[in-house]
Amino acid sequence: MATYNPFETAQKQFDKAADLLELDQAARALLRTPMREYHFSIPVHMDDGNKQVFRGFRVQHNDARGPAKGGIRFHPQETIDTVRALSMWMTWKTAVADIPLGGGKGGVICDPHNLSQWEQEQICRGWIRQISKNVGPHTDIPAPDVMTNAQHMLWMLDEYEMIYGERAPGFITGKPVGMGGSLGRTEATGYGTIITVREALKELDIKPENTTASFQGFGNVSQYAIELYHQMGGSTICVSCWDQADQTSYSFRKKEGVNLKELLSITDAFGGIDKSKALELGYEVLPGDAWIEQEVDILLPAALENQVTGETVGKISKRVKIIAEGANGPTTIEADKEIFERKIFLIPDFLANAGGVTCSYFEQVQSNMNYFWEKDEVLGKLDLKMTAAFIAVSDFARKHNLYMRDAAYVISVDRVAQACKDRGWI
Amino acid sequence: MITKDNLDKLTSDLKERAKELNCLYEVQELLSQPDATLQDICPGVIQAIQNGWQYPDVCQVSIKLQDCAFQTDGFVETEWFQSAEIMTQNEAVGIISVYYLEERPQAEEGPFNDDERKLLDAIAAQLGNYLFHQQLKEIFENQKGQVSKRKQEWDTILELLERTDIKLLIRISRKMVNSLCWSGIQEAEPLLELFSPVSLNDGGLLGETNFPFVKKVSNDMPELSRRIFEVASQHLSESEILTSIQKWIQEDRSSFLVDTLEDTGSTLAEISSVIERYYHLTAQGVKLSTQREMSFRVSLIRRMLSDQPSFFNIAKNYIHVKDFNVFMQRIIYPQDSHGKLGGKSAGLFLAKQILVNASEENELFKNIKTPKTWYITSDGLRNFTSYNYLEDIVEQKYKDIAQVRKEYPYVVHVFKNSAFDPEIVKGLSLALNDFGPVPLIIRSSSLLEDRLGTAFAGKYKSLFIANQGTMEERLNQLMDAISEVYASTFGPDPIEYRSERGLLDYHEEMGIMIQEVVGKQVGDYFFPALGGVAFSHNEFRWSSRIKREDGLIRIVPGLGTRAVDRLSDDYPIMFAPGQPRLRINVTHDEIVRYSPRFFDAINLKTRTFETVDIRQFLKKHGAEFPYFNQLISVFKNDRIQPARPLGTDFEQDYLVVTMEGLLRHTSFVEQIYEMLKTLNETYDHPIDIEFAHDGENLYLLQCRTQSYSEDSRRAIIPRDIPPEKLIFSANRYVTNGLVSDITHLVYVVPQQYSEIADHQELLAVGRTIGRLNQILPKRQFILLGPGRWGSRGDIKLGVSVTYSEINNTSMLIEIARQKKDYVPDLSFGTHFFQDLVEANIRYLPLYPDDHGIVFNEEFLEGSPNILTEILPDAGHLEQVIRVIDITAVTNGNILKVLMNAEEEEAVAIIAEPSGAPEKTPRKNESFARSIKTDVHWRWRLRNVEGLAANLDTARFGVKGLYLFGRTKNATAGPGSDIDILIHFDGTETQRLDLMNWLEGWSLSLSQMNYMRTGIKTDGLLDIHLITDEDIASRTSYAAKIGAVTDAARPLALGSFVRR
Repeated sequence: MATYNPFETAQKQFDKAADLLELDQAARALLRTPMREYHFSIPVHMDDGNKQVFRGFRVQHNDARGPAKGGIRFHPQETIDTVRALSMWMTWKTAVADIPLGGGKGGVICDPHNLSQWEQEQICRGWIRQISKNVGPHTDIPAPDVMTNAQHMLWMLDEYEMIYGERAPGFITGKPVGMGGSLGRTEATGYGTIITVREALKELDIKPENTTASFQGFGNVSQYAIELYHQMGGSTICVSCWDQADQTSYSFRKKEGVNLKELLSITDAFGGIDKSKALELGYEVLPGDAWIEQEVDILLPAALENQVTGETVGKISKRVKIIAEGANGPTTIEADKEIFERKIFLIPDFLANAGGVTCSYFEQVQSNMNYFWEKDEVLGKLDLKMTAAFIAVSDFARKHNLYMRDAAYVISVDRVAQACKDRGWI
Repeated sequence: MITKDNLDKLTSDLKERAKELNCLYEVQELLSQPDATLQDICPGVIQAIQNGWQYPDVCQVSIKLQDCAFQTDGFVETEWFQSAEIMTQNEAVGIISVYYLEERPQAEEGPFNDDERKLLDAIAAQLGNYLFHQQLKEIFENQKGQVSKRKQEWDTILELLERTDIKLLIRISRKMVNSLCWSGIQEAEPLLELFSPVSLNDGGLLGETNFPFVKKVSNDMPELSRRIFEVASQHLSESEILTSIQKWIQEDRSSFLVDTLEDTGSTLAEISSVIERYYHLTAQGVKLSTQREMSFRVSLIRRMLSDQPSFFNIAKNYIHVKDFNVFMQRIIYPQDSHGKLGGKSAGLFLAKQILVNASEENELFKNIKTPKTWYITSDGLRNFTSYNYLEDIVEQKYKDIAQVRKEYPYVVHVFKNSAFDPEIVKGLSLALNDFGPVPLIIRSSSLLEDRLGTAFAGKYKSLFIANQGTMEERLNQLMDAISEVYASTFGPDPIEYRSERGLLDYHEEMGIMIQEVVGKQVGDYFFPALGGVAFSHNEFRWSSRIKREDGLIRIVPGLGTRAVDRLSDDYPIMFAPGQPRLRINVTHDEIVRYSPRFFDAINLKTRTFETVDIRQFLKKHGAEFPYFNQLISVFKNDRIQPARPLGTDFEQDYLVVTMEGLLRHTSFVEQIYEMLKTLNETYDHPIDIEFAHDGENLYLLQCRTQSYSEDSRRAIIPRDIPPEKLIFSANRYVTNGLVSDITHLVYVVPQQYSEIADHQELLAVGRTIGRLNQILPKRQFILLGPGRWGSRGDIKLGVSVTYSEINNTSMLIEIARQKKDYVPDLSFGTHFFQDLVEANIRYLPLYPDDHGIVFNEEFLEGSPNILTEILPDAGHLEQVIRVIDITAVTNGNILKVLMNAEEEEAVAIIAEPSGAPEKTPRKNESFARSIKTDVHWRWRLRNVEGLAANLDTARFGVKGLYLFGRTKNATAGPGSDIDILIHFDGTETQRLDLMNWLEGWSLSLSQMNYMRTGIKTDGLLDIHLITDEDIASRTSYAAKIGAVTDAARPLALGSFVRR
């Protein structure tokens, strides 16, 4: 029995797109595996006086369209295959958003729960020292990922700048505003999702003000998505969220439409809505999975994986016309089949939530020129990018009669393959 | 009740008393100056007396001695006077008199009151004493100068003593002969015999005067002593003899201490006064031999603090006789008191002394304080009950626990409406005067509390009072709180606890600690910046790098009450003081999610104890919160950083309690860590402390040997476990504890799990565990799985579950199997570590491939897997998830996990259920517990059998009644409900009737259970109706009938009705 290997899964996915595109052998060989992998050791002087050596990685899957871009993960049982798979996904993600970046990923095998802040700083700086020659604002641009945050990025950036003796804010994204970060980052993903929804509605010839929606999750993505959706005139009927105290999730429904401001006033930092206060405000409190069975036009799974499954897909109301995947991987393969058959318009995750990576790109651009835009400018440019990306995928799907997910995949592989060809690599 | 009038009288009396004490101290101070002469001293004494008497403006004083006289300026004799003779060696050598110039109101002795008479006598005695010792000193000094010239100087001293103080001569001679005999000098033995039994029995004489029988032996005494010293001079040098005599004369002056301390009949008042006398003697340069000082210490410690050897063996090295002097003045006791301070007070006093001692070498201890404390002795409770004719209350503990519980509210009511002895009220007023209007905590300090191994934690009450308002109101608040704490001695919880441990007959008395609450006022609230508890041994390690000895701190903003108990709705900040940089919570999500959201405080306005939402409070009061920058961090721009003095926007910023500043910028952690280490080393036992910090100083509030809850105490690992009974063993990162009565084991097979190729399938394992978590009996199953439970992202490393999918397990076990050349790191439950701690779910890592470790794969993989019996649709995971019904495969036995951190060893063994009768008697404690456990399911079973017997089957359309769950499994606890399946085949009306009838039973049983256990429930029956159809299709609970695991057991129906 073969063991689960995320890299193999990613390769199979690629093969499917490559078959559709009838890519030649060289293109397949180039894109099936990362172009470059760096494996290195990071010796760290621990607090207790011991020396410990950590394993670090950086994988640059493809940089034909621009410098590699991808996060740095701190994970105790990181495997190279996971990093390879994730770097490949980054290549497709930047390509589908049509931003001039490639795909990369990196990490260190470590568990921050076992490390002091000081030790983590040493790991960050050590990571840069080992790879500084092979990364940079025009080569490969890291960002925060699993168990790393803005602090880790600043340590890394500082070490990089120390080595090169100059400021290079464009080397890393995910920095705090004022330290080379971009405004509009919190809004970007949620807004981006709704921009794609808006375009989808246009194609379906439905006016947003005549639509209703149900959201899974009430975190950052949902909150800003709802904000923009309401600005467009839509009405949110139902929102689900995790309840920390009860250790379960609930759906909050108000048939005449949710008042976002009111709901935010009873929500904690992680999008947990206060159940009793919601009841007072006249919300119905329903089971956590009730969001999916609402009589709405749009479903937005925006928090967790595996929400739309073979089991739950049957509960989706006949009225639903669009599913926009604000979260990563909310839909399983079985559910995909039924959604396709029912002709529900699906906006796949790496398109629907590409607002995030697009904004990272903007951060990099602003950092490189050391000139930072106002929030309006960031969000205006985001709209342009997202709209263009959506139309490209949607047109492609219609033209070739493809499921949106497949279309998005194929279009991004095609773009990367083409760039490689243009460069004369293959 | 206290009224304004008698309160005023009381206050003025107290002031007068304070003035008098002051006078006595001043006199003692004067006399204790080393080289002062009479000329130096007497004017001061006169001055002190003048100020000390009730009417200083008309007061004049004269002191007449043999060769000199002193008096106030312009002294005239009047008719209003009192005098006392100054005596040395029973001979008047002078007189001291106090005159009033004018007439003053009549009191006990002319215008003078009783206290003034006592005071004058005391001053006269002190002067006499002083004169005598001046004389002795002269003689010694003369002798020293002539040592070489005369051969027998001691002779002169003996002569002097013979003339002046024959009793002292007898005692010294006796001591010399004793000392000679002990040294093995044979000539001394006949001399020893010459001390007649009567004269030998001088225990009652020491230090007192005018005993008639002294004269009886005085005739031959000088001769006898001369003979003794002749013998001595043959064996000892001149100077040795002199030194001994000198030492004995000195010690003789402290003999009153021996008398009082060794006499178990002496009252606290007497002890208090001798300590005061002793204190002034030492100030006068009287020194005790180390041995004698030690014996005094031990007597005092035993008498006042604790008679537990484990306590005074340590305490004697840290508590000096002089240390008692200060705090004796803050003890409130009934007349003729023989009480002690109780465990909590003693523990804190000792800990403080240990730290004071250590502070000479360790700077960190210099600023550690203890709050101002007053004490009521343990017999204050007896005094209270007898004063109010409540003696019958002692019978309470022998009553049935249900009756105790029923009567308890009345006991509290009666206690709160009882009065205190005026003596105590006087003491309490003094205390309140001393405290001022600051909030107080009234803590119980019972005698049982200081016994090693009896953790009465939380059994007796501790009450906060705001202590606001007029003196009268404050006194009433205080007395009200004390009577409530007193009443808690007779509460059902402590009585039950004592009965479980066989301590019911032990004489329990309750001391009281009245402690100033550490803190500051902000708005209407009073609270410390932070409070918490710390343990010298960490039983919850979240990283393999943390050692047990690194300790554990649980800390909250505000009063420490929220750190002491485990919270269900909030989290304290926890870290290991030995490794403060290794945090439990690392990601922003974790840091915010597990940060405290509320704090406890005293509302001075409403005079109540309140729990306050910290974010709301900060919005209003901002940086007024004491120690704000050390406690609070700001979550902004994807970073969490300690708040900056001027950089915080209290309206907009997202504030998180992290204590980050405290850890980074203060020596707090070091202080706690050093304190834990020092106390741990001194006690030679793990300890725990309670502390608070007001933003300026760290206060130690409590210290005791580390207590363990029932399930986290060290388990004794049995030896020679038969291999078939041993399921696994562990020897790394083991904590203390016992997880018993495990009926089911869920084993995610590591090899199988690692071979799953499909991501969905991996996720399905987690969801299936979540479903099992709902179905398996709560806290009676354990989860074993590969690697890291709760993995996110790369879930191959461990089963992806959320806390809610494992929250009913009693134990979470991670298995690290050797992979090629490395053993993977485990998570130590970090994904939901704090949830595990608060819910008391135990964690254990297993390393099956380590040398000497047992991992019984035959049992784990060979026992029948009942997964599909429980979840028929989970068949595809049968290879991965194995659910073992321990009871079924072991003939009714259960699994038990015994963990012992000291030996770094844990085992899981098959054993008999604790509810079942024991074959071999265990140690007392666990035996008592097993009986206790036994009680609950038996009581339930009996009642359900009764219910079944009373059930009219025809009337309700009932075909069968089954019992399942914990009652059937003989593991029901005091709060367990009773799971019943009813096979129903009737009409809707019958169903409603039946449910009504059962509801009645349920509520009655619940009430009965409350009376027995104090646990409130909404009904005790958990009823599930099933139909023929259910049984046929084995759906829902019908599957329990004839099930493979935890099968429901049928009960005889309607027998009662039929008969």
